[in-house]
Amino acid sequence: MSGCGFFSRGAAVVATAATAVRASRVPRVFTVTHRPLHTSLQSRSFAKELFLGNIEQKGVFPFPEISQDELSEINQFVGPVERFFNDEVDSRKIDQEGKIPVDTLEKLKSLGLFGIQVPEEYGGLGLSNTMYARLGEIFSMDGSITVTLAAHQAIGLKGIILVGNEEQKAKYLPKLASGEHIAAFCLTEPASGSDAASIQTRATLSEDKKHFVLNGSKVWITNGGLASIFTVFAKTEVVDSDGSVKDKITAFIVERDFGGITNGKPEEKLGIRGSNTCEVHFENTRVPVENVLGEVGGGFKVAMNILNSGRFSMGSVVAGMLKKLIELTAEYACTRKQFNRNLSEFGLIQEKFALMAQKAYVMESMTYLTAGMLDQPGFPDCSIEAAMVKVFSSEAAWQCVSEALQILGGSGYMKDYPYERFLRDSRILLIFEGTNEILRLFIALTGLQHAGRILTSRIKELKRGNVSTVMETIGQKLRDSLGRTVDLGLSGNPAVVHPSLGDSANKLEENVYYFGRTVETLLLRFGKTIVEEQLVLKRVANILINLYGMTAVLSRASRSIRTGLPNHDHEVLLANMFCVEAYFQNLFSLTQLDKYAPENLDEQIKKVSQQILEKRAYICAHPLDRTS
Amino acid sequence: MSWVQASLLARGLSRGWGGICSTALSGAPAQVSLQAARGLHRSAVIHRDDVWLVPQPPEPQRKPIKVPVLHEELFTPSANGEQDKASFLRAVRSFGEHSVRKRGHVDFIYLALRKMPEFGVERDLSVYNLLLDVFPKEVFRPRNIIQRIFVHYPRQQECGIAVLEQMERHGVMPNTETEFLLTQIFGRTSYPMLKFLRMKLWLTRFKNINPYPVPRDLPQDPLDLAKLSLRHMEPDLSAKVTVYQMSLPSESTGIDPIQPHIVGIQSPDQQAALARHNPSKPVFVEGPFPLWLRNKCVYYHILRADLPLPEEENVEEIPEEWNLYYPMKLDLEYSRSGWDNYEFDLDEVTEGPVFAMCMAGAHDQATLVKWIQGLQETNPTLAQIPVVFRLARSTGELLTTSRLEGQSPPDGPPKGQEEDEGLQTQPQQGQS
Repeated sequence: MSGCGFFSRGAAVVATAATAVRASRVPRVFTVTHRPLHTSLQSRSFAKELFLGNIEQKGVFPFPEISQDELSEINQFVGPVERFFNDEVDSRKIDQEGKIPVDTLEKLKSLGLFGIQVPEEYGGLGLSNTMYARLGEIFSMDGSITVTLAAHQAIGLKGIILVGNEEQKAKYLPKLASGEHIAAFCLTEPASGSDAASIQTRATLSEDKKHFVLNGSKVWITNGGLASIFTVFAKTEVVDSDGSVKDKITAFIVERDFGGITNGKPEEKLGIRGSNTCEVHFENTRVPVENVLGEVGGGFKVAMNILNSGRFSMGSVVAGMLKKLIELTAEYACTRKQFNRNLSEFGLIQEKFALMAQKAYVMESMTYLTAGMLDQPGFPDCSIEAAMVKVFSSEAAWQCVSEALQILGGSGYMKDYPYERFLRDSRILLIFEGTNEILRLFIALTGLQHAGRILTSRIKELKRGNVSTVMETIGQKLRDSLGRTVDLGLSGNPAVVHPSLGDSANKLEENVYYFGRTVETLLLRFGKTIVEEQLVLKRVANILINLYGMTAVLSRASRSIRTGLPNHDHEVLLANMFCVEAYFQNLFSLTQLDKYAPENLDEQIKKVSQQILEKRAYICAHPLDRTS
Repeated sequence: MSWVQASLLARGLSRGWGGICSTALSGAPAQVSLQAARGLHRSAVIHRDDVWLVPQPPEPQRKPIKVPVLHEELFTPSANGEQDKASFLRAVRSFGEHSVRKRGHVDFIYLALRKMPEFGVERDLSVYNLLLDVFPKEVFRPRNIIQRIFVHYPRQQECGIAVLEQMERHGVMPNTETEFLLTQIFGRTSYPMLKFLRMKLWLTRFKNINPYPVPRDLPQDPLDLAKLSLRHMEPDLSAKVTVYQMSLPSESTGIDPIQPHIVGIQSPDQQAALARHNPSKPVFVEGPFPLWLRNKCVYYHILRADLPLPEEENVEEIPEEWNLYYPMKLDLEYSRSGWDNYEFDLDEVTEGPVFAMCMAGAHDQATLVKWIQGLQETNPTLAQIPVVFRLARSTGELLTTSRLEGQSPPDGPPKGQEEDEGLQTQPQQGQS
């Protein structure tokens, strides 16, 4: 099986080698023993290095840990919160009434859950990303509360923490942290989803230059009806350095008391029905100039930073939900009898549990790895990693909840049980905080940009081409095609990855190496226009997500074995299982990325959709149609 | 193998023989020998189908003495002048009653075929089956190998083929009843049967071959027809059809509308392109161009501009702060390399942009100015752009000979225009 996959890969490499000769270039591609090209500490993000075919071990191996003190601290929090969610939150009622009861909200506030990441000096809990992720596992028992809390602190007040000045922090954060004020993030407009240029809301400077007058409408604002503090993005006129006047986006902190703010009625939604989502209208709202968040005209970067920073926590939320779901369905499967056997004895049911456990394990590993990276000093850039966690966990959530429903059969479909609510609630995960499609493009393009910068110089040299580089390239391609063993330092002596995961580590290394080569080829083939090749970018992102997942589980399982955590043999099983699956998925995707790969149906896909969209209908004749 | 060749040869020869027979029967007796030689040497291919299969109706202007066609009287309009399916069926039935021995049935079928469009039954399968039913059964079936090799009763077989040909021309698919009749009349190994099988094979394949199907019955109202034609030409489904002016026929003639209809179509993309158009460059109203829809020809006009010069084409820049989620462009210094260029080296002739199309009841400038004025309401920039009318006098295209409808085509040739033949420009700056 593996040999088979390997050969097809090898053959494809030969094919590209031939074309490579024609174009006469190619530098020495990264030697395995030493890693050149480290520009700065800041840009040495793990995911970006993967694009160059390297595994950056710092921060990833060993798996990040928290100290014993921190652990006991977080456990102190977790206990009461968990008890509260188990005993007092009636998710079914919240879902039916479309509203979180006031006393529930009050209790959440008293637990301090509205200021988890607000620094302690402003009255928050000041927890790290890792601890935030840990708490997220517990919120996940109720989707509406999760979303309400996330909209409040992951995006709503995040701007103040990230770019607010001292006065703004001192003025707003204490009340936000206590939950006295709830925050909302107002970016989306009827005409503007991810397109910042089409934002219509406008802020004009008043004549006394002390206020901005805000006008416009925002839609689908979570907490829009509850919030007292809004982070609003609006267009302002900014004089450029060359004297021209341009429209640029500026972020504002807007209090409801500024006046002129009205809400639409709460939207009826498929899931997370307890959360408050509505339109927010601003009409001549006067915002003092002190309330500009960041710089005037610098709102775009603020929005991007907020969005990029809020994503990783979805992984732990989904993992928490899956763990609970596994408990519920396992209970059912072990008690429900058919043909005198428990459901748990049937292979097709067992398979579903393995899938759920595997997905939960992978996303947990990815989340805490990312959180650990984020908690490292010096604001490391982990936006790609966070986006990967979001994409993986949201898709796994949808898949696993659906499988769980399948285990339950008809009961899963009934409103008497909570499962259909889980299904409805989890559907939004694929959509908000950047749809998965958009995030895939983000993952692929950000990485390609990084790889492109570094490869540009090399490729230029290679396009000029001299005999020695060409010969070197041919030699390397030949060696690749003969199936060299790749060693990126995971299984050296002493091995970074535990030997019981050695095979999987080798698979990861092989995937990473060929991924790096493929990225180089892609950049060479498409250049700048790769931005338009969305189907290619999707595969690049999928491979990267798998690679990141593989790394995370290998790192975590290795740590578990070495520190002797309970059931680490189970972890090894899950890790190896995922790595093998991901390995073959990656091989397939890499093959598809080759030129003229028969597995690649992109041309046909484009043609089919083009024909359909031209007619805006399904155009096949009915199977019962006749011509005579 | 050799037997097959022999039989094929025999069939070819028999075709020739068919030619001889048909010419012998219809042509002048003095030329029989000459035509026979031609028929033998060239086989049937030289005969143009219509000449060979459907004898031309006697044309009155060539033959001053009108020879009354046999059985013509059966198709004379009845007292109330109605010509419909019922009266046609009556005529066919009365032929059966009239001549029990079916004498002259071939002539009658040819006549009936010619008469079918007049009665409006040319697309009716049951009528064709009824016509085939006129043939006597079993008489023309070949009974031995010799008869099977040569064309047995060629004139009758040709007549049968003529029926099928007319069906084919009108897109009528034969059914099992047709097959049953043909086997009864001519047998399985006959030319009408071969024709039938070919029709069964090919008509189905050709029926939906047009990716842009035109409805079978075109609307009679010129306004509806114009809307249909504009939709037919415009690929963008978001395009909006606007009626700029309804036609008001003058009471006096009723034919020449004093206020012709004007219908235009414009897609949002075209509207955006027009808004981007450099106002110092003129736009042109050109036309009329012909468009054929089945047997109707309509004329349309376009509003277009010349292709902008390459240096004038402002390259769309991607704004810096556009996409909140992912980079819209990569900061790389190289682009797609030559070895991954999938496009062939084509000499593509790019045309200037077309901004709108219209169809009007009249093709003069006065009418088209009204169209431009109407367009200005939705395209404010058009007011600043000089509009040049380049109208051709002659459409250079045939008029429809709509003898079926028995009326003049809805869009006649352009008339009342000052320009001479050919394209002439008449700049008209700053409309409105």
